[in-house]
Amino acid sequence: MTRNVKISIKNLYKIFGPTPDVVLEYARQGMHKAEMLEQHNHVLGLRDINVDIHEGEITVIMGLSGSGKSTLIRHLNRLIDPTAGEVQVDGDDIMTYTEEQLRQLRRERMSMVFQKFALLPHKTVLENAGMAKDIRGYTTEDFEGEARKWLARVGLEGNEQQYPHQLSGGMQQRVGIARALVSDAQIMLMDEAFSALDPLIRSDMQDLLLELQEELKKTIVFITHDLDEALKLADHLVILKEGEVVQQGDPQDILLNPGDPYIVDFISDINRARVLRVRSMMTKPDPEETDYAGDISEKDNLEDVLRKSGGDMTLNFRVMRGDEQVGTLHMKDLARALVPTDASESRGKTAA
Amino acid sequence: MATYDPLFETLGLKEWCSEGKSSGPMSMADLLNKTSGKQTQETSIWELPFPSMDALNESCAAFPQSRELTKGLEQGFLAIKDSLSLVLDPLTQPLSWFLDGALYAMLNTPWWIVIPLLLAVVFVVTKSWKLVAFVGISIVLMAFIDHYDYAMQTLAIIMVCAFLCVLFGVPIGIAMARSDGLQRVITPVLDMLQTLPPFVYLIPLIFLFSVTESKLYGIAIILYAIVPVIRLTNLGIRLVDKDVIEAADAFGMTPRQKLYKVQIPLALPNIMAGVNQTIMMSLAMVVIASLVSAPGLGVLVLRGIRNLELGVGLVSGLGIVILAVILDRVTKASLARIDVSKEH
Repeated sequence: MTRNVKISIKNLYKIFGPTPDVVLEYARQGMHKAEMLEQHNHVLGLRDINVDIHEGEITVIMGLSGSGKSTLIRHLNRLIDPTAGEVQVDGDDIMTYTEEQLRQLRRERMSMVFQKFALLPHKTVLENAGMAKDIRGYTTEDFEGEARKWLARVGLEGNEQQYPHQLSGGMQQRVGIARALVSDAQIMLMDEAFSALDPLIRSDMQDLLLELQEELKKTIVFITHDLDEALKLADHLVILKEGEVVQQGDPQDILLNPGDPYIVDFISDINRARVLRVRSMMTKPDPEETDYAGDISEKDNLEDVLRKSGGDMTLNFRVMRGDEQVGTLHMKDLARALVPTDASESRGKTAA
Repeated sequence: MATYDPLFETLGLKEWCSEGKSSGPMSMADLLNKTSGKQTQETSIWELPFPSMDALNESCAAFPQSRELTKGLEQGFLAIKDSLSLVLDPLTQPLSWFLDGALYAMLNTPWWIVIPLLLAVVFVVTKSWKLVAFVGISIVLMAFIDHYDYAMQTLAIIMVCAFLCVLFGVPIGIAMARSDGLQRVITPVLDMLQTLPPFVYLIPLIFLFSVTESKLYGIAIILYAIVPVIRLTNLGIRLVDKDVIEAADAFGMTPRQKLYKVQIPLALPNIMAGVNQTIMMSLAMVVIASLVSAPGLGVLVLRGIRNLELGVGLVSGLGIVILAVILDRVTKASLARIDVSKEH
């Protein structure tokens, strides 16, 4: 599978304060957030960020509040300008863009979904959905068909003529997503898009997003502070802490091989069975093994497999991708994967 | 021998002081002293006068008295007056035309056209039959007690002045909202306009323009009433939800699109509240402006005060209250209609 890099963030620094250029040198030399605040009274927003965002994938940037994740996503369309560093979109350094080029980028190549929805309260749902097209100079008649199509796709058929305040939070965010989809942009930035919703609705919205992604293959950058959400959505997971990338990679890998006590602390609470997937547990297909209890997909999570096995730890499953066998899953391995490691426990305690 | 003599002596300014011996007219206190034949005596520390201009002048004749300050101000104003009115006169001339035109149109159109027209306007902006009935009854009542002409004059002046306030105030407010520097400059001016007693505007205006010209009171009313619409436009635009502004930026709106598609529509309730305030303040000022020949109900109030005609003053005062209630209710109702998208 070739993975084209759509957005590439290189050596990005962001420092907030009166003279960011002066203290930039200290940040380059390795000064961290707390030190910088104490000694120079500048807030280190981001320090030496290097992330490649691949085409057609959901890249989740996760971190607690204050970790700089919202700052980072705003660099991708330059709602915030960096102190130093590069952001490349399709190979172009957008830092060199003129205002007009930047506007073009925001209008046609990127769309954004916001935590607080940020819909226009004086426009109908339909007009809100078509906002991106309206900005480009299309009339309501021009975009009405498309707006209706996407509104229906996110489950808002019949609400077109209502105003945002008449809708619930979940429905408002659906309008937000429809608005991003109507813009036809290849890149979708989602800034804590589901954080303001209650858990059940949030889960629905995550499913909706995955479903849409299956079909549309957009390049999505998703910001969240919720690890469960991150693991559910991410093809590529970037974990931020105090403005620095602590670890990034395949979420399954991060889960199985946490590289930092901070992450260990983070993942100690989650339901591993629900998050870990068969493909990261399976072994190579064993040609001599014939005693399979059944077929499972490589995408199934371990909880599904547990349910299928009825808790019998002696079984083996055949792992399929489509019609092809790609591996074997031994229930013994599965049980082992679910054991929280000693290291994770003890480190978790020291970190906490 | 005055209190501050030694001061000028030690400073070696004695000579400079005596140069100005010619001196202006005597002050009342001097005159009294002279007639009573008293000499100024040594003052005790308890009676030490503040070293004000007048006190210093006593010791040193060359030092200016404070009345020369006010006189200087007056002369300075008179000196620039001619050139100032040369510029201001043509600039403000349209205001006179507007006011005279509105007054002429209001008074020369027969009442059976004006009253239905006003009611129609009320209905169009408020869509409320109740308000139309209220306004109708009020106007008919005023017409019945022969205050129709006065009320219509007042109304005509308010309409012209409030319209001009909005015409200038909203763009100024928008400019203020977009530039912090401009806000820093304009805010003190607005503060001053708002706190100056309304009579104070009238003094320089009388010097600048002829009292027979209607723009004199027009300017006074506009200066007084334009403040709320500027303030509330500025505030309204600054209060627009930051998240929505960010979304507008993220989707690539130009500053102009942002202004017309987001900021002004979202600030509209605040702007309309400013318009409401502006209209009410025009009404307040139009009464005071009757001092400088503004026609309308204010003239009757003034007559009531001048001739102690209690009845005339009370009835015209009541007329003003009725006008105020009408204008307030009508603008509030239209504001509520604009605000409909935010109703919960």
